[in-house]
Amino acid sequence: MWELLKSYWQILRRPSVHYSLGFLTLGGFIAGIIFWGGFNTALEVTNTEQFCTSCHEMRDNVFEEMKTTIHYSNRSGVRATCPDCHVPHNWTDKIARKMQASKEVWGKIFGTISTREKFLEKRRELAEHEWARLKANDSLECRNCHNFDYMDFTRQSKRAMEQHSTALASGEATCIDCHKGIAHELPDMSGVKGW
Amino acid sequence: MKLTRRDFAKAQAGAVAAAVAGIPLVEASNLITSSDQTQMEWNKAPCRFCGTGCSVMVATKDNQVVATHGDIKAEVNRGLNCVKGYFLSKIMYGKDRLTKPLLRMKDGKFDKNGEFAEVSWDQAFDIMAEKVKAALKNHGPNSVGMFGSGQWTVWEGYAASKLYKAGLRSNNIDPNARHCMASAVMGFMRTFGMDEPMGCYDDFEHANAFVLWGSNMAEMHPVLWTRITDRRLSAPDTQVAVLSTYEHRSFELADIPMVFTPHTDLVILNYIANYLIENDAIDKDFVAKHTNFVKGAEDIGYGLRPTNPLEARAKNAEKANTWEPYSLEQFAEFVKPYTLARAAKESGVPAERLEKLAKLYADPNIRVMSLWTMGANQHTRGVWVNNLIYNIHLLTGKISQPGNSPFSLTGQPSACGTAREVGTFAHRLPADMLIANPEHRAKAEKIWKLPAGAIQDQLGFHAVLQSRKLKDGEIKFYWTQVTNNMQAGPNVMEEILPGWRNPEAFVVVSDVYPTVSAQAADLILPSAMWVEKEGAYGNAERRTQFWHQLVKAPGDAKSDLWQLVEFSKRFTTDEVWPAELLDKNPDFKGKTLFDVLFANGKVNAFGKEDIAEGYANDEADAFGFYLQKGLFEEYAEFGRGHAHDLADFDTYHNSRGLRWPVVDGKETKWRYAEGHDPYVKPGKGFEFYGKPDGKALIFALPYEAPPEAPDADFPFWLCTGRVIEHWHTGSMTDRVDELHKAVPQALVYMHPDDAKKLNVRRGSEVMLTTRRGEMRGRVETRGRNKVPQGLIFVPFFDAKRLVNKLTLDATDPISKQTDFKKCAVKIEAIV
Amino acid sequence: MKKHLLIAACMGLLSWGAVAESLDAPAPDGRRLGGTIAQELQAEEMPKVENKDLKRERNYPEQPPTIPHKIDGYRVDTNSNKCLSCHSRSTAAKSQAPMISITHYMDRDGQPLATVSPRRYFCEQCHVPQHETPAAIPNTFKNIDQVLEGGASQP
Repeated sequence: MWELLKSYWQILRRPSVHYSLGFLTLGGFIAGIIFWGGFNTALEVTNTEQFCTSCHEMRDNVFEEMKTTIHYSNRSGVRATCPDCHVPHNWTDKIARKMQASKEVWGKIFGTISTREKFLEKRRELAEHEWARLKANDSLECRNCHNFDYMDFTRQSKRAMEQHSTALASGEATCIDCHKGIAHELPDMSGVKGW
Repeated sequence: MKLTRRDFAKAQAGAVAAAVAGIPLVEASNLITSSDQTQMEWNKAPCRFCGTGCSVMVATKDNQVVATHGDIKAEVNRGLNCVKGYFLSKIMYGKDRLTKPLLRMKDGKFDKNGEFAEVSWDQAFDIMAEKVKAALKNHGPNSVGMFGSGQWTVWEGYAASKLYKAGLRSNNIDPNARHCMASAVMGFMRTFGMDEPMGCYDDFEHANAFVLWGSNMAEMHPVLWTRITDRRLSAPDTQVAVLSTYEHRSFELADIPMVFTPHTDLVILNYIANYLIENDAIDKDFVAKHTNFVKGAEDIGYGLRPTNPLEARAKNAEKANTWEPYSLEQFAEFVKPYTLARAAKESGVPAERLEKLAKLYADPNIRVMSLWTMGANQHTRGVWVNNLIYNIHLLTGKISQPGNSPFSLTGQPSACGTAREVGTFAHRLPADMLIANPEHRAKAEKIWKLPAGAIQDQLGFHAVLQSRKLKDGEIKFYWTQVTNNMQAGPNVMEEILPGWRNPEAFVVVSDVYPTVSAQAADLILPSAMWVEKEGAYGNAERRTQFWHQLVKAPGDAKSDLWQLVEFSKRFTTDEVWPAELLDKNPDFKGKTLFDVLFANGKVNAFGKEDIAEGYANDEADAFGFYLQKGLFEEYAEFGRGHAHDLADFDTYHNSRGLRWPVVDGKETKWRYAEGHDPYVKPGKGFEFYGKPDGKALIFALPYEAPPEAPDADFPFWLCTGRVIEHWHTGSMTDRVDELHKAVPQALVYMHPDDAKKLNVRRGSEVMLTTRRGEMRGRVETRGRNKVPQGLIFVPFFDAKRLVNKLTLDATDPISKQTDFKKCAVKIEAIV
Repeated sequence: MKKHLLIAACMGLLSWGAVAESLDAPAPDGRRLGGTIAQELQAEEMPKVENKDLKRERNYPEQPPTIPHKIDGYRVDTNSNKCLSCHSRSTAAKSQAPMISITHYMDRDGQPLATVSPRRYFCEQCHVPQHETPAAIPNTFKNIDQVLEGGASQP
């Protein structure tokens, strides 16, 4: 038994004595692909609505609230799922967000928002994180679908056109400034600009 | 306005251009002209719609109502109205106003399957009198019936009650308030021995907790909701708890929102009583001094036809309204099984919220106002729910003080003033008196100046029973006024429609528009409405309010009061009273019912000169005396000195209403409390003088299952109700463009996940089916109501979507009020 | 056997026809087609909310204006009031939406307050959007100007 372990160690320590360099490179490459693929697949699994709503905290609060909004059901059937708005699409940001999410796992384990009451208590804080993120990235996740350059103002209502062609166009305001609470209910908005 | 040919052409062109641009056709000059041009006549009137009783100012010009707004001088609403109230100006002007009596005829004669044709009032009364006389002669007093209304004016209800109970000697008259307030009435009678709330609207400014038991005040009592909103947002320690079987607009203000499984309010209420006892939160002194404990009869059935197996199985259906003595200790044992865990499990409300709710009542420093209407009353255990709410207030002594107030809201504008106070129910006489009580009958006969025995002791049929008896062919003549039971009554397809279309029955509908009821009638009588007649309404806080006639009714339309009184001329006592009664009282021989009931020296005591100057009064013109004043003063005799005191007639025209009892010109805000209520004896503190010993009853009543619940065949709960924009069956509000366009059709509110499972979506047409009927409707998964999975909500205002084809005609067995909030329904996509 | 079933079915239909006929009788139309109470008519499609942002004529000055736009998803509750984001005194200039009137700043006793009166907080109690649908029944109400011109609104 000891001998066997020793030989494995030898292989690990000095692989090229035992295997060709080509084999090792290729093997490492394949292993890398498998690992990377596995990692990304796992990551993508956590980026589905199904995963998000597998926790009752999400299912009974924010997801339930979303069902009656335009981001759930609308004329063209193009709908947003949780990660569309809440997970950045570009890789580094995504990983950064996922690292933050480890805190949510912590919250889940300790039941920080395990009841509706606790969730409502914390809602302002949680909402502020999302508003801050979207404000900082100029509402990037909104713009992934709602690209300003391709907005046809003539297809918008008068009110929308007026705001979009002025404040939004000039960069004075970003989407989240006006469209807070578009997919979920709002927390107490006292002190929030525009409310 | 005369137009020359050229002007006409110009006007036409202008009209086309205006129509395109949406510009008004008549543009007022922007220059102010003379004051006789710009002056309008302004008068007060209570709103035509709900039981809140807002006062509105009505502007008239040239026999037209031209504007309305909230009355700033009225305490109830201080200048506010809801959206319906703001459009009152337009409710009388729907294009299809009824202006002539219409009778079903074929070949010039009445025919049940004939087409409606115009007839004169004479012809209409001829056939009515013929049918009434034949029915009374051949089938007895309960073969004639009347279905009245909580929207009748006080004197209309009084005149109808008198015509039936004293004139035709039939107690078979019931108001639509049976569908609406009967459980509240029986709740009051059982607990306090006296009807109507002890508190008043001033409680809104004093309470620091509001609990809505199944009520959606944001839509159904919007102006009272503004007072709660005002209090909640300006006094930060105020809390609002809302209980309902689905989430609606009142949840927007809720600090403690609670969606519970239908019918489990009984469990929640008993849990609170248990909590109060277990946590030593009862006011022992108050309980000892002012209450008695009793245990009510259980297993009391569901007010269904006796042939229904559920009814046959019920042990105490016959003695539903009985109770036996109990003690606090026994009561404590009785409610013990209603634990927090059980309440949370059965109601589906999180335990922490239920506990928060219980604490509102338990904390002696919180002044609590409980409010309820149809959620509690339209309930097969509605009387129990009322009793159980009072239990909580009595146990904690939170009653009859500013802000501590169990407050039963009313639905209709005069459910209190007319249906309840006048006693237009099949078992009632004015001022809380009962047909069954010989002393009460004798008192009524005396005030009415009628011979002893004129009023029969045989009870009439209540609303739901009337429908059944029509179907069974027992009621031969049926008259409805100011109500639309073919749309608003339960189980239309199995009971009401077959009843009205029964060849045995002759059905008369007095209304202002061709309602669904009018369409099913045999004779339609055109009525005057609202400010087309002089009127009086009594609202939910015991406030009696008057208004003057301000405009003329269109065409041959006449007030319901005129119809009743004029019709009484068609009968002589010899035709409708037994010879025996007349032999004993020969003075009454040969007289018409008009002479006996209305020209009796009291009702005709006031001349036309008493009418306030400048006001029309079509009834006074027709009969030669001030009919309204005479009826009111005679009616007021019943209550004066009996804790139902009303002020004199003219006072009401000159004030924004007064809350009875009005003693020495002073209204009463909090009944049963010393210092507020002149009927409480000094030193008593509180006195519930409706009961002989002055003590209110605390009832031990259990949870009992509803008569119908979802199952494999009919898997959803169906709940019906109103929306803020429409009043009841929409006959008035659906004729106002703005209100119709705000809510054009009744939708089927459904949870998005249920829709998905049924393979339907917002806007899909579905067939709703119950064991009684079917209805087609469109699915709504968004909007103002968020229903839980397994329940749908459908409003009943829409004449095209008759949701009452689906509802169950089960009633509370004590109050006989229908449960419109719960039955089992199946939903299928229409493809 | 088949023949018997057919006869039975025909009789069933006949008797159903007879019942339906006696339940429904000719009547004026009203809000529902006359003589169709027993029948189930197809439900009308759900109309859209008019979203043109064009002010509408009021019937009289005291009438609350109807909302000329969609209000889907505009929440009004204890946490937020989306209407006031455009219609309050402080936001109206920026949004160019009509400012709510002075009465909305008064308490029960007519005393002006620093902010919108809490009693006026729930906008939809008085102000409602309008769907793109014709009137159910025409209304012959005449406004004061039409009355002054001499029209009569009685049908």
